[in-house]
Amino acid sequence: MNRRLLRFLDWPLLLVTLVLVAGGVVVLYSATQAAGTGPAFVKIRLIHAAVGLIALAILAATDYQMLASAWRPILVGTIVLLALVDVAGRSAMGAQRWISLGPLGGFQPSEVAKLALIIALAKLVEPRETWPWTAVGGLVLAAAVPAVLIVGQPDLGSTLVVVAIFAAVMFAGGAPARVLASLAVAGAAAVPLVWGLLRDYQRARLAVFLDPGIDPLGAGYALIQSKIAVGSGQLWGKGFLAGTQNLLHFIPEQHTDFIFTVIGEEFGFAGALIMLALFAVWVGRGLSIARSAKDRLGMLLAVGVVAMVAFHLFVNIGMTVGLMPITGIPLPFISHGGTALVVMLGSTGLLLSIGMRRKKILF
Amino acid sequence: MREPESSPRRLTALGILVALLMGILVVRLWQIQVLQGAHYLQLSEDNRVREYSLTAPRGVIYDRKGRPLVTNRPSFTVAILPLEMRAPDRILPRLSALLGMPVTEIQARIAAGQQRPFEPVRIRRDTSQAVVTRIEENRIDLPGVVILVEPVRVYLQGKMAAHLLGHLGEVSQAELAALRHKGYKPGDLIGKDGVERTYEWLLRGSDGRLRVEVDAMGRPLRVLARIPPTAGRSLVLTIDLDLQRAAYEALAGSRQPSGAVVALDPRTGDVLALVSLPSYDPNLFAVGISAGQWAALTGDRRYPLLNRAIGAAYEPGSVFKLVTAAAALEEGLATRGSVFYAPGFFRIGRYVWKDLGVWGNVNFITGIAHSINVVFYTLGYRLGGDRLAAYAGRMGVGVRTGIDLPGEAAGSIPSPATKQQLTGEPWYPGDAVNISIGQGAVTVTPMQAARLMALIASDGRQVRPRLLLMSMQGDGTMRARAPAVLGRVPFRASTFAILREGLVAAVERGTGQASKVPGLAVGGKTGSAENPRGKPHAWFAGYAPADRPSLVLVAFVEHGYRGGSTAAPIVRQVLTTAFPFPAGQETAP
Repeated sequence: MNRRLLRFLDWPLLLVTLVLVAGGVVVLYSATQAAGTGPAFVKIRLIHAAVGLIALAILAATDYQMLASAWRPILVGTIVLLALVDVAGRSAMGAQRWISLGPLGGFQPSEVAKLALIIALAKLVEPRETWPWTAVGGLVLAAAVPAVLIVGQPDLGSTLVVVAIFAAVMFAGGAPARVLASLAVAGAAAVPLVWGLLRDYQRARLAVFLDPGIDPLGAGYALIQSKIAVGSGQLWGKGFLAGTQNLLHFIPEQHTDFIFTVIGEEFGFAGALIMLALFAVWVGRGLSIARSAKDRLGMLLAVGVVAMVAFHLFVNIGMTVGLMPITGIPLPFISHGGTALVVMLGSTGLLLSIGMRRKKILF
Repeated sequence: MREPESSPRRLTALGILVALLMGILVVRLWQIQVLQGAHYLQLSEDNRVREYSLTAPRGVIYDRKGRPLVTNRPSFTVAILPLEMRAPDRILPRLSALLGMPVTEIQARIAAGQQRPFEPVRIRRDTSQAVVTRIEENRIDLPGVVILVEPVRVYLQGKMAAHLLGHLGEVSQAELAALRHKGYKPGDLIGKDGVERTYEWLLRGSDGRLRVEVDAMGRPLRVLARIPPTAGRSLVLTIDLDLQRAAYEALAGSRQPSGAVVALDPRTGDVLALVSLPSYDPNLFAVGISAGQWAALTGDRRYPLLNRAIGAAYEPGSVFKLVTAAAALEEGLATRGSVFYAPGFFRIGRYVWKDLGVWGNVNFITGIAHSINVVFYTLGYRLGGDRLAAYAGRMGVGVRTGIDLPGEAAGSIPSPATKQQLTGEPWYPGDAVNISIGQGAVTVTPMQAARLMALIASDGRQVRPRLLLMSMQGDGTMRARAPAVLGRVPFRASTFAILREGLVAAVERGTGQASKVPGLAVGGKTGSAENPRGKPHAWFAGYAPADRPSLVLVAFVEHGYRGGSTAAPIVRQVLTTAFPFPAGQETAP
């Protein structure tokens, strides 16, 4: 990597990413130590983070145009992996999302699919000047195949992420309003179809979102308890390792999808605000990189990555505070889950790569 | 590169959208954490929902005729919820006085359970009704102390069947690391030895969970959810309780401090009895053994926890002569009619091996019946170490039987190739002479001796001894296990016939007469094995009925001096139980 590239390295973006990952390790320790498994989780987390940082470095050093020119094998490979999950996958909580990797845990192709889809969509949208229906159809197909495979696993949260990425890249790519509007209508029409694909527990979660009181000890339990956890943190929090909701294990899956409850309970509104501020910097730098990208491809890639992280953030926190239904989607950089962390760090590397190769201006 | 005119505006729009969403999050967090924070804090403090695990009862263990060997009974466990102990300085001394247990021991147990503060820490299992009543009466002064009802293992036969059934213990750190994914938690009981350990995976059920709402005192108000525990599978063992009792009483009645008795069905490998002395009471372990009792058991120089039937290997002495005899017959060095000159000693060059008596000319059958050393010295010397070791290996000497019990010893058989690493000494030609009568670094477990005898009694059938006949689920579904017949040792039928003739002769008129049961034809071999640690070990390995063997019995008495006078009577006593009416209709066990 030459020195010009390093000069344009987005240090603030890299720094907030590292702070988020490091903070995540602390929170993960708190979330798992009550079960006596804190040190084990931290150890695995550090291994995942090391792998993720290598992915970050590789993607930052790689020319993103080269990477995107390989979109076909990337997309096809991802689809094959997703299909493989149905065959060889391991089932967690009734969802078949993993391929076992021995001691490192499970490999979750649906996480990789998000980044692969960003690359494929950006490459496909890049040359688009006019928007005939055939082209739009091709784009929909490229997103729909992985989306259908993911929703069938079933992983509703990741499917929604795919939809969000698709919408953001289309929007930033300049799709005319009539195309966007018709896609929105078509998406709404597909909702009953997706409803049919959902498992009972997922439907229960959605119903409970509308009225948590209908099943306070079953599906509504997590929602009620996570709100109590976050709310009881008040302004300053109960202190590290002092969250009673956390320690007493009131919240299921508190080290994965519900990790924000630990932050909210133990570090309070202040801690949550600091975390949101870090994410705001991250998203802001990402959009700034999109704006200054040297070509449309770089801009679209950056938008896709930013949309992915922002959507994860909003849906994840939203569900713990009762704004969104429970869909099972990790908090970027913080939730336990190796594949998600590696993909998030790799995506950060992609952003850095776009930023380093930005327009030759100013200086 | 093209510059799409719409993109900067649309990027701005996206930025505004993200800012908006984050703003919504901040407002919502402000709302529930700051505006309603006090309310939620109150909710979290009143959150009096407790989750306990409900310990699943382990499977019941039966003998082959359906008589229970191990069952469960309900018991009271006094436990502490660490997070609800507001004032341990005041509560622990009270609890200590009620339980009669030092405060330091209670503190140690709480510290050990600290990793899971939401799970009750078990302080005292199997607490008496009186103590529980007093705790309930003083509940107001003992916040954080709870009483759990949990199943406790009952070993109905006590010391009689300790080694085969094994015992429980609290799961160790190492076991926990390996088994946590199977749902084991600190403080759980796990099979540590015997059948309890081998079939832990069948016996262990899956714990249930109980979610209860409690009041500020920690008293349960109502059950919110209950996932009942699933009991483990019940096991039916191959053990015959009558034979097991007879074997234990015979061995214990011999007033010898240590030894083992094994009863085996030579047709299937079913272990009908397995006794080891000195024994211990597995009930001591059922509720978590106390430190003092543990120290007494492990510090005992007689090693009561050692299963002498399989866990240690001993010099077989003259029992090994059966291997020498089989090898000689197979190799054509001896026939049924061979005559040997036994002058009371055997000489190679300047080395002389002595015998117990002067016999003159004897035939092969008499050689076996009277265990005449010179006959086997001669054959062993002619066979040589390599062939002796090869035949010993084929007949299972120095080879683990593969019985479904933990901690089986392999035993050993030296050969010119392996003696150096086995004993650190080089091979001498005279070693084959020593080995021919089961001395000199040959060691077997009593279970191996039983398998050797089963092989001879069944014309070479190789069985893997087994303890599990079948397992049963609570709903009555059964899974039977087929006997493990591994194959057949391809010796001539005449070889086995001649060996059996010698064994019957040994009981009728030779060294094993003390095992004779009127009306029952028995075959058997004695052994008195010299060893470097004390008096010779006494062995008797036999089978009955001689014409259609259905039972192999091995009695081993550590330092019992003479097989014929110490071990053979033990076997006779067990035989009278196994064949109560030998003269009339035959009743196989």
